[in-house]
Amino acid sequence: MIPKDLILATESVKGMDGFLSDKHRSVRRSVRSFCAREIAPIAKEIDQEALFPWAVVEKMGRLGYFGIQVPPQYSGAGLDTVSYIIIIEEVSRACASLGLCLSVHNSVAVYPILAFADEEQKKRWLPPLARGEKIGAFCLTEPNAGSDAAGIEATAIRNGDAYIVNANKVFVTNGGIADICLMFVRTDPSAGRKGISVVVAERGAPGFVVGELEDLCGVRSNPVNSIRLYDCNVPAHNLLGKEGMGLPIGLAALDAGRIGIAAQAVGIAQAAMDESVQYVKQRHQFGVSLGKHQMIQSMIADMSTQIDAARLMVYRAAVLRDAGKPISEAAAKAKLFASEVSTQVTDLAVQIHGGYGYSRAYPVERYYRDARVTRIYEGTSEIHRIVIARSVLGV
Amino acid sequence: MKRHIIACIKSVMLEAPSGRAVRTSETCDLNPFDRPSLAVALHLRQVLKGTVTAVSMGPDACGFVLRDALAMGADRGILLSDPAFAGSDTLATTAVLAAAVKKLAPFDVLLFGTRTSDSDTGQVGPQTAVLLNLPMVTDARFIETGPLGLRVSRSADGFFETFDLSFPAALTIHPASVEPADPGLSGIAAAYDTARVEKWTLKDLGLTARQVGSMGSPTRVVSLTRVKRERKCEMISGAAEEQAEVLLQKLIKTGAVGQ
Repeated sequence: MIPKDLILATESVKGMDGFLSDKHRSVRRSVRSFCAREIAPIAKEIDQEALFPWAVVEKMGRLGYFGIQVPPQYSGAGLDTVSYIIIIEEVSRACASLGLCLSVHNSVAVYPILAFADEEQKKRWLPPLARGEKIGAFCLTEPNAGSDAAGIEATAIRNGDAYIVNANKVFVTNGGIADICLMFVRTDPSAGRKGISVVVAERGAPGFVVGELEDLCGVRSNPVNSIRLYDCNVPAHNLLGKEGMGLPIGLAALDAGRIGIAAQAVGIAQAAMDESVQYVKQRHQFGVSLGKHQMIQSMIADMSTQIDAARLMVYRAAVLRDAGKPISEAAAKAKLFASEVSTQVTDLAVQIHGGYGYSRAYPVERYYRDARVTRIYEGTSEIHRIVIARSVLGV
Repeated sequence: MKRHIIACIKSVMLEAPSGRAVRTSETCDLNPFDRPSLAVALHLRQVLKGTVTAVSMGPDACGFVLRDALAMGADRGILLSDPAFAGSDTLATTAVLAAAVKKLAPFDVLLFGTRTSDSDTGQVGPQTAVLLNLPMVTDARFIETGPLGLRVSRSADGFFETFDLSFPAALTIHPASVEPADPGLSGIAAAYDTARVEKWTLKDLGLTARQVGSMGSPTRVVSLTRVKRERKCEMISGAAEEQAEVLLQKLIKTGAVGQ
C-alpha cells in the first residue's frame, strides 16, 4: 500500500520528514535551492506590481515543474504525488502565486488530460504543457455557478465537426496566460447534471476572449482573469472523454487539485513560520528577545504544531493517491485543515510582527493575504465540510 | 579523442542531532563547494566531448550525493564505501580517492571543490594530486581549452595567474567560476529510477585496512567544541589623525595588519 520508495528512517528527526525517500529529498533540495535563488528574491515585487514572472517560469518549465507527474513519453518528469506536493509546498513557500500556477496547471488542467484524454489528444496537448511551453487552466466557475457546479450555463452546440461554444468563465486561475483551457459546458441543456461536458478551448481561436484581470487581495502575481467564448468553434475532437462526463471529470480533477492547494497552504504557513521564528529571535522587548516571552512561545508552538499536522494530512492524501486508493475524503480533509491552518498561522505571524507585520516592508502581510484564498478556491471550506460529512455519515 | 573527467564529491553534515553524527540524506547534503566542480565537469564534457565520472567516499547512506550528480548529468557514479574507511582523516581519504582514480584511469581531468562546508580543510584535492603526481591548479576561476589541453586562470593576491596544463591535470574549482546548474526533475527521476551507483570497497581498491580509516590517519580528534564568535564595539574618539593612529596600533596589536 505504501509506495516502495517511501522508507521509514529510524532516527527521530526535527524536520518531520523521516518517511520521505532519498528521491523525494533530492527533489526537495533541488526545488528549495531553485526557489531561494530565483523566486524568493522577486516575490515581493511581483506581488506588489501584479506581474507574472515569465523569465523564471521559463526556467521552471525547463526543469520540469509543469509536467511533474506526466510520464516521460509525453515529456514529463514522471514523478509521484508526494514529489508533486513537495514541489508545490516549496514553490508556495517562496511565492504563493507561482505555487498556485503550478498546482492548477499540474492538477486540474494536465491531470484530467492524462486521465481522460485519448492517445491522439495526449500526444497533442501533453508535451507542450509538460515543458511549460503552454499553460493550462480549468474553467468551471461562472457568475451563477461555482460551488454549485451543476448550475453552469455555458453551452456547446454540436455543429458538424465542431462545437459552437458560448461561455462566460470567471476567476480563472492562470486565465491571463493560459493556452489550453478545460471548459465546462452544457452539451445537452435538457439533461441536468448529466448534460455537462468538458471541451478543450485553445487560446487564439476566433471568439476566444481573455477578459479583465481580477484585482485580488492575494496571489496577485497569478493572472486570474475571466475567459469568454463567443460563438467559438471548438473542434469536436477536443471533447475530453465523452459527452455528459463533465462532472465526474471535474470532481476527479478537483480531488487532485485539492491536494495541491493544501500543499500550497502549508507552504504559505511555513513561510510565515520561518519569518516569525527569525523575527522573535532578533526583536527585543522588555530587555529580552520576543522569543523569551511565554505568550510568543505559545503562538510559535501552536503554529509549528498546526503546520506539522496539516503537512502530515497532505502527505497522507498524496500517499493514498500514489497507492491508487480513493482520496476524496482524505484530500477534502487535508485541504480544509491546511487552508484553515494557513490563515490562522499567517494571522499569528502578523500579530507576532506587530506594526511591522501590517507593513509591506515585511513579507508576512503578503502571506496573510495569500493564505486567505486557500479557504475559498478549489472548493470552499464549507463545501469540504459537506464532502467530509457525507463521506463519514455515508449519506 | 574522448576525454574522461573525474569529479570527487562529498556528502557534508548539515546537522548533528543531539550532537551525534548520523549520516543520512536528511542530515547530509552534497557539499555546496562541489556543485561548481560538477558543473565545470559537465561543461568540460560538452567542450571536450567526454564522459564524467563522479566519485564519493562515504557510508552507504550517503550514496544519494552520487544520485544528485547523476541527476545533474554525470555519466557514472561510484561510491567508495567500506566500514574500514570510518574515521579517515584527510590523508587516509586521499589514499582511498587516489586508489579509486588510479582504478578509473585513463583519465584527463580530475576535479575537486575548493573545500567542504563541514570539516573545511581544503586539503583533500591538493593531497590527492600530489599522491597521483599530477599538476594542479587550485582555486581555478576560468577554465577553457588551451594549446596543451586546458588554460586555467586563478586569482592570487589580487592578480591573475594563467596556466597551460596538459592532460592529465587536477583542479580545485573556485565557487564563482560557474553558474550553479539545477538538476531537472526528469534528471532526478532517472537518477533514482534507472541509473546505478556502483560501490567499491577496500578490497576493490587494493588497499589494506592499515592505510585507511583511523589506522591510516595520523590526525587524532581529541574533542570538538562550538566556537563562539563574539563581536565587540569600541568607539575611538579624538581628532581624525589621532583616531587613525589609535586604530592602526590596535590592528597591529591584534595581528590584523603587519608592522
